[in-house]
Amino acid sequence: MKITDFKIPTRLDEALALLRVLGPAGLPVAGATSLVFIPEDEPKTAVDLNRIGLDGIRRDNGTFRIGATTRVAALQKHAAPGWVLNRVAQMLASQQIRNESTLGGNICRVFPWADFPAALLALGAVMVLQGETTREVPADEFFSAQPARLFRSGELLTQVCVPALSPGLGFGYRKVRQTATGFSMLTAAALLQLDGATIRSVRAAMSGGVPFPARCPGVEGALAGKKASEGLLREAALNGLAGLKFKEAEGMSTAYIGRLAGVTLGDVLVEAWTQAKEQAS
Amino acid sequence: MSGTKTISFTLNGAKKEFAIAPGELLVKLLRRSGLTGTKEGCDEGTCGACTVIVDGRAVMSCIMPAFLVEGRRVETIEGVGDFGKVHPIQQALADAGAVQCGYCIPGLIMSAKALLEEKPDASDEDIRTHMDGNLCRCTGYEKIWTALRNVRDANQPKQA
Repeated sequence: MKITDFKIPTRLDEALALLRVLGPAGLPVAGATSLVFIPEDEPKTAVDLNRIGLDGIRRDNGTFRIGATTRVAALQKHAAPGWVLNRVAQMLASQQIRNESTLGGNICRVFPWADFPAALLALGAVMVLQGETTREVPADEFFSAQPARLFRSGELLTQVCVPALSPGLGFGYRKVRQTATGFSMLTAAALLQLDGATIRSVRAAMSGGVPFPARCPGVEGALAGKKASEGLLREAALNGLAGLKFKEAEGMSTAYIGRLAGVTLGDVLVEAWTQAKEQAS
Repeated sequence: MSGTKTISFTLNGAKKEFAIAPGELLVKLLRRSGLTGTKEGCDEGTCGACTVIVDGRAVMSCIMPAFLVEGRRVETIEGVGDFGKVHPIQQALADAGAVQCGYCIPGLIMSAKALLEEKPDASDEDIRTHMDGNLCRCTGYEKIWTALRNVRDANQPKQA
């Protein structure tokens, strides 16, 4: 990344105006931890988003509203009833990276190893984009391809909204990696809603071992309306991924990654089911 | 230097001004300013040798553009201690035999200092989690954990 100038705005409207004027030459920067992975050589003017009041986590009824420049370490340390993103944050890279890297940065340019897209797809998060107007983009649309395509000139991601888990809801999350701070080989997440002993709905998603973060509709469809059991959840995870493409990595074949995905998602669903039962009682 | 810009920040307690290239990385700025205690290892935010503290948080200076520290407080190993005034973390590492080649140690001390200042009663698990970004190829880590536990334990109020 070639940064030939930088601007340090102190208000959101100032940052948006700068980005509008700069157009494609403008580069919004907060944690800056992924610049090292961006090889483009075109000169860019960095716009520092750290002083425009976009950080922080607040609860708004049943929703957590997370500012786009909230550090991953802040998500990791946050503790509140119904809060689950600490489980995602604590497995992201190393402490120094978590201290700088932001939620917005992790999802606005989706790298193959990014952790939050799968979790936000499972949670049914909503992204708030602000420019001349403010609009909300659901996770399914936001992550259907690189989010860059959604941004108009002078528009920024300002907030990410995730539900606070209420009774009957459970969240599961696993990241498979070779070392404690390694990139994801496979990340799986699921949100499961119980109605008594019956599964009302499941949202399951993966990233890492697939070309782009994706929901797992075959698994979700096989579970909705069924009586929950560990056997059913594991079987659905192993058999319901036929529609997904997997990519080989680090000496692992696509068949291996596919099997890993089924086993891992099974663990994730059981974890979500266990939490949903605990939350309900 | 064309396109040079000026930034200022507090470096080890003293307010300083620097002329930087807009895209210059913090580790390069520190080292060309004579503060070579901060090491360059992987240059991609993996090994932790370049760790410094910015506003109380440990960060990787090898991937941080210097302009991001404008107006902030930066601490490097040079501000921690020296032979005349050894910091307790430095003393504990030496006492435990936790320093072999030593290349990872300045960064490791900065990570540990940020943790123990924020959380003086950090659990063993906190220490391991917080130090996960500092690789050491010599020691196998056990003596490092011993040293940091010793610093943590020495910080605790004595039982009556």
